[in-house]
Formats: sequence, structure tokens, C-alpha cells
Amino acid sequence: MIEFKHLKKIYEPNDIVLNDLTLEIKKGEFVSLVGLSGAGKSTLMKMLTKEENPSSGHIIVDGVDIATIKGKDIPYYRRNIGTVYQDFKLLSNKTTYENVAFAMEVSDATKEDIEKDVPQILSIVGLGDKLNNFPNQLSGGEKQRLAIARALIHRPKILLADEPTGNLDLLNSHDVVKLLLKINELGTTVVLATHDTNIVNTIGRRVVSMEKGKIIKDQLEHGRYVI
Amino acid sequence: MFQTLKIVIKTGWTNFKRNSYLSVAAISVMSLTLVLFLSLLSLQFLTSQIVLSLEKKVDISAYFKTDTTEDQIFKIRDDLKARADVVSVDYVSRDQALQDFKQRHAQDALIQDSLSQIDGNPLAASLNIKTQNSTQYASVADFLQKFKFKDRVDNISFYESKDAIEKIGGLSNSIKSWGLVATLMLGLIAVLVTFNTVRLTIYNQKQEIEIMRLVGASNWHIRGPYLAEGGFYGLFASLGAIAIFYPIVYLVSDKISGFLESINLLGYFTAGLGEVVLMTVGLGVLLGIVSSSIAIRKHLQV
Repeated sequence: MIEFKHLKKIYEPNDIVLNDLTLEIKKGEFVSLVGLSGAGKSTLMKMLTKEENPSSGHIIVDGVDIATIKGKDIPYYRRNIGTVYQDFKLLSNKTTYENVAFAMEVSDATKEDIEKDVPQILSIVGLGDKLNNFPNQLSGGEKQRLAIARALIHRPKILLADEPTGNLDLLNSHDVVKLLLKINELGTTVVLATHDTNIVNTIGRRVVSMEKGKIIKDQLEHGRYVI
Repeated sequence: MFQTLKIVIKTGWTNFKRNSYLSVAAISVMSLTLVLFLSLLSLQFLTSQIVLSLEKKVDISAYFKTDTTEDQIFKIRDDLKARADVVSVDYVSRDQALQDFKQRHAQDALIQDSLSQIDGNPLAASLNIKTQNSTQYASVADFLQKFKFKDRVDNISFYESKDAIEKIGGLSNSIKSWGLVATLMLGLIAVLVTFNTVRLTIYNQKQEIEIMRLVGASNWHIRGPYLAEGGFYGLFASLGAIAIFYPIVYLVSDKISGFLESINLLGYFTAGLGEVVLMTVGLGVLLGIVSSSIAIRKHLQV
């Protein structure tokens, strides 16, 4: 499903962020990327969404080398990948409903589909009664659940979560992780970047440990947080 | 397509309402810009009216020798009328000229006395010629000099008032061209000010644009609502400008008429109300959309 082949990212003049990284993630997997800040987890995520390009190496998604995707086709590519961030990245001047609806509008969904799907997904993440609230009227946990709802509205094959619990308390963090596990059970490949030991150990799936832009350990099953 | 357009306009309108503080700022600046534009329009109208009234006061006359027959004069008049640059040619016969002269100097006993001493009519018949603008008088005078009855022409008044006519011509040309330069410069300043205001408004939403890109919005999906929002700024700004401008015209129109009787500024703007509103709204909306589109371009690089 996702292959990183000899990936290198060097910020000029000589700041090596990713150093000859090779990794394969299979369809339907739940992978936790762990490592200290600066290990290269977020850079890897950004390359997958084409926010950043590698200095060398290849990224293959669903058999396609994403380096071949042209600028005008990037929006279409991004619609197949759901993303969740530590800082939520919600549109502050749009309501809960509009934040999710926007993601559908940009993919030219019909009005009927938007009106049917948006309330449905918001009630799945537990925000069914907050459709008209603006992001600043939501708690941290609610904001992250809204971000997950938005990420899922396209029914993406891949969900990338970059430190999704970084700004949340323990209880809300577990809620978010439960939601991610549920999404994974329904067939979506989930890549979670985190440095939260507790969370990783609770999940107990594949754990890839990174350090200084390299993979130092890859535990395929029942992984634990090791760096 | 229609649905997308509907969403774009609806989203633009929602953003416009929600960004009320910035919207008010942008609309105020754009309103002032448009008031400036309307003022320039008034200035153009005033200068053209002044030039027109000056030009109306200028004409040239060709005086014929006393033994010239009316047929010969009429022939010249017809040929003059056939010229594209000639607006009117008025014939003043010798008798008419004498009558006019007597009337003009009815109070002057010496002139009346002198006239009675002279046998016959000493005055010449003449043609008063008006052209479209003062620069054309030279070519009309030239035409009369080369005409086949040129030996019939005694005197052409152009050569006496040539300097004055040329000065008026030069003045009207420079008023026109400086007016145009001033309009263009102020127009450019206005566009830059508007553009910068809209740019600041959009700069505030830099992060929002970044997020839209991340959820897979194409450039058009991001740009559309901002263009609509810019259009709304323009629409409200132009209505605001009209609401400011017309009362001002109402107040100053009388004062201008007192100064230059032939000029009716209020009449000019009320007669063309529909056109002025349409033009201002069109210009405002265009200004808003163009400013938005330039301002947002920077943020759309993927």
C-alpha cells in the first residue's frame, strides 16, 4: 500500500532529516511511528501528503510513485488520504458542520450527499449535537474528533495522524485512539506518529521506532514503545 | 457547475458576514476609492464644460468686398458647410450688418451722425463660421484663402484673433491631457490602496488557506469564495460611494452654477443616474474581484 524507498531529506546546507529510510506499510495495517522530536516522523507524514518532497528516493502509494503526480492533480491525490494533526487544523470561521462539509464540497459531492453524510459522521465521532458550534466553542478532545470526522468523510484508504493526542488529556487521548482503532477495523490503513509511550503500549500493534531520520527498530506485532 | 457556483457565492457571503470587522475596513477604503473616482468624473465633466463654453465664444468671420454678389457668397457658404470640421456658417448681409451696427451704437450720437453723412452702406457682408474645435480654424482660414473667389474676400478675422484662438486651443488640450493624467494616477493609487486592504484581509486567513489545501481543495475551490467575498466588498463599497457622492453633488452643484452659469452638475449626474450606478457598481465589483484574485495568488502555490 505505502512504500518508502531509500528516502532522503536534507535541508540545506546539511541538516539531514531523513537518512536512507526504507519502509513498507501493508493495506489495513495500524502502524505507530515513534521517536523523539526531530526523529523525522512528521517529515515522513508531510512527504506522504506531498507537502514536502524528498531530496532523493521514492514514495509509492497504491502502486503509483507520487513524485509523478503533477501540481494540479495534488488536490485529487490528497482527497484519498485523511490527515489529523496535533493542532487540529480546523477552519476557525466555519462551524463543525461546515468544516466537514467543506471537505466534501471540494470534491464536488452533491448537496444531498453532504446533507446525509456530514451529520452521520459527526454523530459517529460524538459531535451530533454540536453541528453549529465554531471550533473555539469546542474542547480539545471535541476538536480532534471533528478533525477525525473531516479526515474520514472521503472514506480514505489511508489515515495519517500526526501527534493527534499531543494537545489532549489522558481521557480524551484514549477516546481518540479508540476512534482510530475503530477506523482501522473498518479497513483503513492508519499511520500514527506519536511520542506518547502510554498510547503506543495500549494499542499494541506494529511499532516503527525512528531516530535521526533512520528506522532503528520495527516490531511487526504487539509492539512496545522503544527508542 | 451551477451548484459549485452557488456554493462559492454562498460561502463568499458567509465569510463576508463573519469577517465583519475586516469587511467594514475594506469596504470603507473601497468606498473612498470609488468616491474619488466619481469626483474625477465630475472634474472631467467640469473641465470639458469650461472648455466647451470657451470654445463657443470663439468663431471666425470672413468679410467680403462690397461689390461681391450674394450668389458668390452663398457658393462659398455652401462649400464651407460641406466641410466635416465646420459646425455652422451664418450669413450676415450688408444691410443686416448696418442695422446691427446702428443698434449697437444707438446711444453714440457721433457715430449716428457720421453714418448719416456717408452715402450708402460702408459695411461688408460676412460669414460667421464655427468649427468643432478651436484648432480647426486655421485650416478653415487657409481654405478661404485658396478658394476660387478668394479675391472677393476682403478680410478674415482669424488672423487678428489668431493668438487668442490658439491659446484657447492649447489651454483646452492641456486641461484634457492633464485631467487624463490626474485621473490615471489617482485611479492607480486607489487600486493599490484597495488591493493592499484586501491583501491584508486575506493574509489574516493564510492558515485557513493552508488547511483548505491539506483537505484536498483545488485552487479554484479556495479562490472562488474569496473572489465572491471581494465582489461583495465591491458591491457594498460602490453603494456606499453613491450614498456619499450624491449628497455632495447636491450641496456643491448650486455653488458651481453660481460661478459658471452654464454648468449643471446635479442635472448631469441625475440624468445619468442609471449609468453612474451601473458603472460604479461594475467598477467596484471588478476592483474587489481583481484585488482578491491578485492577493490570493501568492497563497495558492501548492
